[in-house]
Amino acid sequence: MKKVKRLLSLILTFVLVMSLLAACGKDAKQTDTDTPQNKVEDSKDDGGDKSGEETTPDQADTPNPVTLTTVSMHGGTDPNAENYQAISEQFMKDYPYITIEDDSQSADQDWKTKVAADFAVGNEPDVIQYFTDANASDVLAADKFVSIEEIKAEYPDYAKDTLLAALIAAQNPDGVQRAVPTTGYWEGLFCNKDLFDQYGLDLPTDWDKLLTAIDTFKANDIIPIAVSLNNVPHYWIEFLMLSAAGPESYTSVPETAPEDWCKGLEMFKTLRDLGAFPVDTDTIDNDFAGELFKNKQAAMQLDGSWYAGGIPDQENTVLCSFPVIPGGKAQPGFMVGGISSGFYITKKAWEDPDKRDAAVKFVMAHTNSEAVTKYWGGNGQAAAKVEPIESMTSLGISGLEYSSAATSISSPTDSRISQEAYNTLVAGIVDVSTGARTAEDLLNEVLQINAR
Amino acid sequence: MIYKKKSPLFIFLLPGLLLMIVFLYIPFIENIMNSFYDMTSVVKIPGKEWNFIGFDNYTKLLSDPKLKIAIANSLKMMVLAVIFQVGIAFILAVMVSMIKKGQQIFRTVYFFPIVISATAIGLLFKLFYNYNGGMLNQLMLALDKEPINWLAPELAFIMVSIPTIWSYVGFYFVIILTGISAIPEELYESASIDGCSRLKQVWYITIPMVRGVMCTCITLAVTGALKVFDLPWVIVPKGAPQGLTHFLGTYMYEQTFLISNIDYGSTLALIIVILGVVVSKVVSRIVKPDDNL
Repeated sequence: MKKVKRLLSLILTFVLVMSLLAACGKDAKQTDTDTPQNKVEDSKDDGGDKSGEETTPDQADTPNPVTLTTVSMHGGTDPNAENYQAISEQFMKDYPYITIEDDSQSADQDWKTKVAADFAVGNEPDVIQYFTDANASDVLAADKFVSIEEIKAEYPDYAKDTLLAALIAAQNPDGVQRAVPTTGYWEGLFCNKDLFDQYGLDLPTDWDKLLTAIDTFKANDIIPIAVSLNNVPHYWIEFLMLSAAGPESYTSVPETAPEDWCKGLEMFKTLRDLGAFPVDTDTIDNDFAGELFKNKQAAMQLDGSWYAGGIPDQENTVLCSFPVIPGGKAQPGFMVGGISSGFYITKKAWEDPDKRDAAVKFVMAHTNSEAVTKYWGGNGQAAAKVEPIESMTSLGISGLEYSSAATSISSPTDSRISQEAYNTLVAGIVDVSTGARTAEDLLNEVLQINAR
Repeated sequence: MIYKKKSPLFIFLLPGLLLMIVFLYIPFIENIMNSFYDMTSVVKIPGKEWNFIGFDNYTKLLSDPKLKIAIANSLKMMVLAVIFQVGIAFILAVMVSMIKKGQQIFRTVYFFPIVISATAIGLLFKLFYNYNGGMLNQLMLALDKEPINWLAPELAFIMVSIPTIWSYVGFYFVIILTGISAIPEELYESASIDGCSRLKQVWYITIPMVRGVMCTCITLAVTGALKVFDLPWVIVPKGAPQGLTHFLGTYMYEQTFLISNIDYGSTLALIIVILGVVVSKVVSRIVKPDDNL
């Protein structure tokens, strides 16, 4: 009996070992049949469309199969997620030997933490579309990106469509250009013009008009301003501080709370006391607040250029420059905006001879004029020369006029101070709006964290 | 002992022990160390050093008003969990044990919330409470009443507690019902013959007989209340409104992952562990049924 058991055990072990070996052998065979030469030839036979001579892979060379790991902010509900996917898919068709393993997600705090952790432990992707400002400080500290200058030395056509001004705007806080941007953005006050017309109100181009609009809308059971102070008070923080302090003071990073900044933030309480915000502004999500505006339950909302595309009523929604608060130092027409993201190539990809070329081609595919036109879509600012879009909506034109008429463009506070400091500022706004905490106290804490 | 040779037991226990050390004890010790540094990222980025800040985070704990709210809310939730979760579960279990037909239906109905994910329940209640177009306010409007801000500062904690407590009643209900089912039927029959009413039967037979089960339920409810996170986070993220609905778990999460104050989050995590150990020790001493259990 014992002998039979031993024999059975031996047979089972042998079968297991053989099956493992067989599995390995099969994989190797499959890899052989999937050589890039075959793939390239197949696509050639099929008459696959190539995007011009310049980008066609050199048939004389036999490039090794490359798997490129990519990460971008164009994931989830991002309006450009579809464009990003379409460009990546076309890229893989154009270069069949390159496989893209993409892990794009919407850029929230959790995602930023994950990216920073990946860079810290050496798990960074080959190409990443990421922030260029202070938001990228953790990742930049790891020193894992290749500069555009270095790439251009070998690939002179790299970022050739990108405007010089856009490249400068996208340079990192240390003054080095590493990222190739696609689009810039602006932030502005969206207004439901039909509601303003219905109650005979002027658009809030100055503070008095804004106060009149708040009173009138409130009296007529319309929420004057859609905002979630608990979730996304960011735009209001920026505009109130910029309005009060003016671009020069606003873009500085002081050590203690400047009086103007405090004055701007104290306006949260004034507006709250006037009933300008939704009753449940402390508990609703930003999406809910957006719905209030889109459903015409609210008259105004501060948001970014990316928000315009999601507004159903493109005809009756207009953009209006933010009014200067009483005693504010900003000139009318001031605006928050800029370029804050771009495509980076990591040193990991650059130092790999196979991946280097693939990574460069991938970034070029996403940053050429054609791709930038897709990403731009009439919203925000294009980082390359783009053809005007014929079918621009009334809101699209309004946005274009608004951004073109800006007297000053300032980048938001989070591009200058540390994430922890900025998040502390955002988290403290509800308390400032209720009067539980003074703006000065909050700002001093924020600047103290930033100085560490 | 069944086995004479003990060494194979250690071999089987070793993988589990190793996993616990790698994934629980080492991170826990690292977490304590992290609380003494000013962490600028979750993991140390090459080229960036963390400053040693000593007991700064522990000093901050003493003057943090939101932490006080979080601790108070967690303690309140413990009391509510014992009174309502275990209390309601006991009443339901007693009533269901008394019926002959349809017991299975009630078991399923009361246990059902347990199988729904907390996120789904949270979203459901978030939509009930929504000021604009929420279910409760639609009812108010249908009754010609003014809509109510159900998550206003004075109501928010109660509104968050309701689904948190409700969702776990079924869990204790099943445990207690199982305990009641184990009581011999003869005891109730003898009591009935002696003229004992149903209420007295519960008082003199059921409660003493399920005391051990009740003690387990109370310990689970109290320690479970310390771990409350998902439901409040979905209904009122970031302790909204005005940080009044923060629990220890939600406050730690906000500090660590939303504000990026990772070192302070580590300190809060340590406080949660200490509080958890202390509370469970105290509770097990108070509710310990007898020396045999």
